Amino acid sequence: MTRDRLAKISLYGILSAGLLVVVGPFVWMLLSSFKPEAEIRSVPPTWWPSTWTFDNYRTLFDRLDFPQYFTNSVIVAVLVTVGNLLFCSLLGYALAKLDFPGRKALFLTVLGMLMVPGMVTFVPQFVLVSNLGLANSYAGLVLPFLAGPFGVFLMRQFLLAIPDDLIEAARIDGAGEWRIFWRVVLPLCKPALATLGILTFLSSWNNFLWPLVVATTDDKYTLPVALALYSIGQNRMYFGLLLAGAVVVVIPVLIVFLALQKHFMRGIATTGLK
Amino acid sequence: MRKRWLAAVLLVSVAAGCGRGDGGGGDTAQAVKDGKATGEITVWAMGTEGEKLAEFAKAFTAENPEAKVSVTAVPWDSAQQKISSAIAAKQTPDVSMIGTTMQGEIAKTGALDATPTELFRKDAFFPGAWDTTVVDGTPYGIPWYVETRGIYYRKDLAAKAGFPDGPKTWDDLTAMAKALQQKAGAKWGISLQPGKTGSWQSILPFGWSNGASLNTGDKYTFDTPQMAEALAYYQSFFTQKLSPDNLPQGALEPAFVRGEIPMFMSGPWHVGILNEQGAKDKFGIAPMPAKQSSTSFIGGSNLAVFKDAKNRDAAWKFLAWLSKPDVQVKWYQAVNDLPAVQSAWDDPALTADPLLKVFGTQLESAKSPPTFPTWTQLAATFDVEAEKVCVAGADPAAALKAVQSQADSLGTGS
Amino acid sequence: MTALLEAPPAVKRAEPRKHRRKMIGWAFAAPFTALFLIFGLLPVVASLVMSVTDMRATDLRTPLAVNFVGLDNYTRLFSDDLFVRSAINTLIFVVVGVPLTIVAALAAANALNSGLIRFRALFRVGFYLPVVTSIVAIAVIWRFLLDPQAGLVDNLLARIGVDGPAWLQDTRTSLGSLTVMAAWRNFGSLMVIFLAALQGIPQDLYEASRLDGAGRWQQFRRITIPLMRPALLFGAVITGIGYLQLFEEPLVMTQGGPLSSTLSVSYHIYNQFGFGNYGYAAAASYVLFVAIVALSVLQFRLLGQRDD
Repeated sequence: MTRDRLAKISLYGILSAGLLVVVGPFVWMLLSSFKPEAEIRSVPPTWWPSTWTFDNYRTLFDRLDFPQYFTNSVIVAVLVTVGNLLFCSLLGYALAKLDFPGRKALFLTVLGMLMVPGMVTFVPQFVLVSNLGLANSYAGLVLPFLAGPFGVFLMRQFLLAIPDDLIEAARIDGAGEWRIFWRVVLPLCKPALATLGILTFLSSWNNFLWPLVVATTDDKYTLPVALALYSIGQNRMYFGLLLAGAVVVVIPVLIVFLALQKHFMRGIATTGLK
Repeated sequence: MRKRWLAAVLLVSVAAGCGRGDGGGGDTAQAVKDGKATGEITVWAMGTEGEKLAEFAKAFTAENPEAKVSVTAVPWDSAQQKISSAIAAKQTPDVSMIGTTMQGEIAKTGALDATPTELFRKDAFFPGAWDTTVVDGTPYGIPWYVETRGIYYRKDLAAKAGFPDGPKTWDDLTAMAKALQQKAGAKWGISLQPGKTGSWQSILPFGWSNGASLNTGDKYTFDTPQMAEALAYYQSFFTQKLSPDNLPQGALEPAFVRGEIPMFMSGPWHVGILNEQGAKDKFGIAPMPAKQSSTSFIGGSNLAVFKDAKNRDAAWKFLAWLSKPDVQVKWYQAVNDLPAVQSAWDDPALTADPLLKVFGTQLESAKSPPTFPTWTQLAATFDVEAEKVCVAGADPAAALKAVQSQADSLGTGS
Repeated sequence: MTALLEAPPAVKRAEPRKHRRKMIGWAFAAPFTALFLIFGLLPVVASLVMSVTDMRATDLRTPLAVNFVGLDNYTRLFSDDLFVRSAINTLIFVVVGVPLTIVAALAAANALNSGLIRFRALFRVGFYLPVVTSIVAIAVIWRFLLDPQAGLVDNLLARIGVDGPAWLQDTRTSLGSLTVMAAWRNFGSLMVIFLAALQGIPQDLYEASRLDGAGRWQQFRRITIPLMRPALLFGAVITGIGYLQLFEEPLVMTQGGPLSSTLSVSYHIYNQFGFGNYGYAAAASYVLFVAIVALSVLQFRLLGQRDD
């Protein structure tokens, strides 16, 4: 008994130490964003702000057209996420459950794209988007990210595990293919959709290089671009602004993640990702 | 099928299009129509300039009521990426601020409009600054603001060390750094950048002061005895443990205030930083210590108009307005950017400040690296080699040979 | 396909239906495929073409007026000291970083799975936190942590009398620091995958071995590890693919220094794009692509064993 309890206590101890190492820095970031510039750089460093100040946030919000950039980020991330959920589940379903010519080739091509280093297509992609007249538009920010190969892979793996009987039964009941997909297949995919949704939202929210280049006027900037603009000067750094900016970027995704984390974890447990 | 077809088209067009034309350089400037500026002028600018220019430009639109200036701020770190992508996609604004060291590469794409000479007088600007706009003999754009490097030192510690007015010569600089360490009790004698990104801006001034030149005609010349001597001199501060070689970002200023690092080399922006950090009136600035001459680096930013500009004439008129001496002074007062136009320095706003005067004098002779399109890449190579010299004790002459061989294989790119 | 072959009499009647099925399959695939062809494949083909030309940034306005140079860019790569250096750095990073990440994730997953129910969600979310955080924020945090003057790490070390190094400014510790940081940042996502795999292991297996007198460690070695093998392999390979493309960490933390000790292949490519050497950078990207494919083939080989 006592040995078991000892084991349990030491386990908690180890886990808590791990948590401290992982979460501690975030707590420090949050606390430090309320410190004046000089205290952030003080030696030795402090944990608790000796003077609380909202100056970093005030400056950040004063200098940024914050509502505009926030709105842009939300619009882009939501559109990209919704698009991926729809298009990837459509193709994932076709690849897993429907037979059509070229299926295997299509899957392998999509899979191959997963391995192409992102940097290599950057310039041609931008030239393309501009030639389509989409520079500096939401369409230009969103379209190239709607067809993500990872989502297809994830949805296909998940759908492979769903028994064919369910679909066949619906077909015998006379349901159309679109209706089957919409009423039978998609509801079963909720955990996978939650997983894909969070991962897509995250990468879109944190994307920097593409919005930087596509947005030619600053009313189309997203949060990460705007923060890069104001936090890093040419010859000096504003540490307080950097920290406050980091907090502002992290908080929204944290909220999304916490709200969906149960579905997300279940999604990972039930997709082919195990 | 579709992809094969596209690949074929691309391959054929590439094969058919072998060889290239001249690209940028050698354009002839076109005249700008008289009259007031009209229409929207789109401008990209980085950093503080990007933030403050829109407000500042209201004085221009007051004079030109039918014009509108739209400024988009661009992050410094990604400016080159953004500008070159925009050029590739023909999505440029009318005007962009361009860092002097990017000028060669951007002008060479042929995307910039040649400067209309009837609007701008070459000798109005600092000669080193004007040179940064010239690619293949043609100026593209105008210098907007400038900066140069000098030696910052703590007045109290310098007096203790026996150099109250700062160093005058190379020998002085070494002696002073030693004395600061030994007599004045500082931890270090000086802080010089130990190679790494941008360190060429600190090292080349020593080369220029020693009579070195980076190019003869259209060939790079890194590997010269003058440059080797300068680099060896620069290295000596590290081998004699006078300068730290692993200072993290942001650590310099607090150490200067504490007196641990009593001297460093930097540009005019440090005046503001030091004042903020509580060193106001405690420091002096000396010009580059002389060997054959006292020659510093001239940096800063240019303004250029793109060929694809939708509102070219108004864009040039806006630039002409920005380079008027009184506007340059006002811009200095707004954001502390040093005027690129020489006569602006006669204004009391600038003459009143003794620290500024050091930079003003230095600017008259300060030099810039050649505006070859491959310069940014060679600068990076130079930085890597310089780091080996400063941190790892590599042979300066061998380092310069390495840079030279890279330069020979790359060419100037023009 | 095989189902159709097994039932030849049905073929004739099924013919129109089969045709309809084909149409339906493509109808479902079409929206993604269209977007994918235009925004995915087309740029890839363009950049592949770019990699056999001497295209530079200065050719941007006239991209078709470049010279065809065959495989020159590819051969030049291997005589490029910095490329070789970056390849070695990347390899070290992968070889050290992948096991480190996996061990951390495995330890966390096992601890969370060992009958400890309370606060499990809290720990799980906590450990996952770095995964959802943008690299910009993480860089800010870690630069402060590792600062030799104001940093938490060296100040804690100083308390126990150790004079901590300048982690990111010293060639001996820079790559190691980035490796630890990457493991810290990524182990959460593997942990979640491992946790799912652990929960799929039937409890009675453990009970049976406990009756046989096996201790905790033996249970772990004889039951947990073999049954988790597919998950471990999957984790190893996706982490390997990700780590081969190491880029963000050196970009935001060290800019590849000091003395190129943290220059990775991806970062080198990024620099070459920055210098305007488009053809050369594209060629380097395809070399990296081949390395990634090689690793992935390995994945499918190893994961394939699961079905045996």
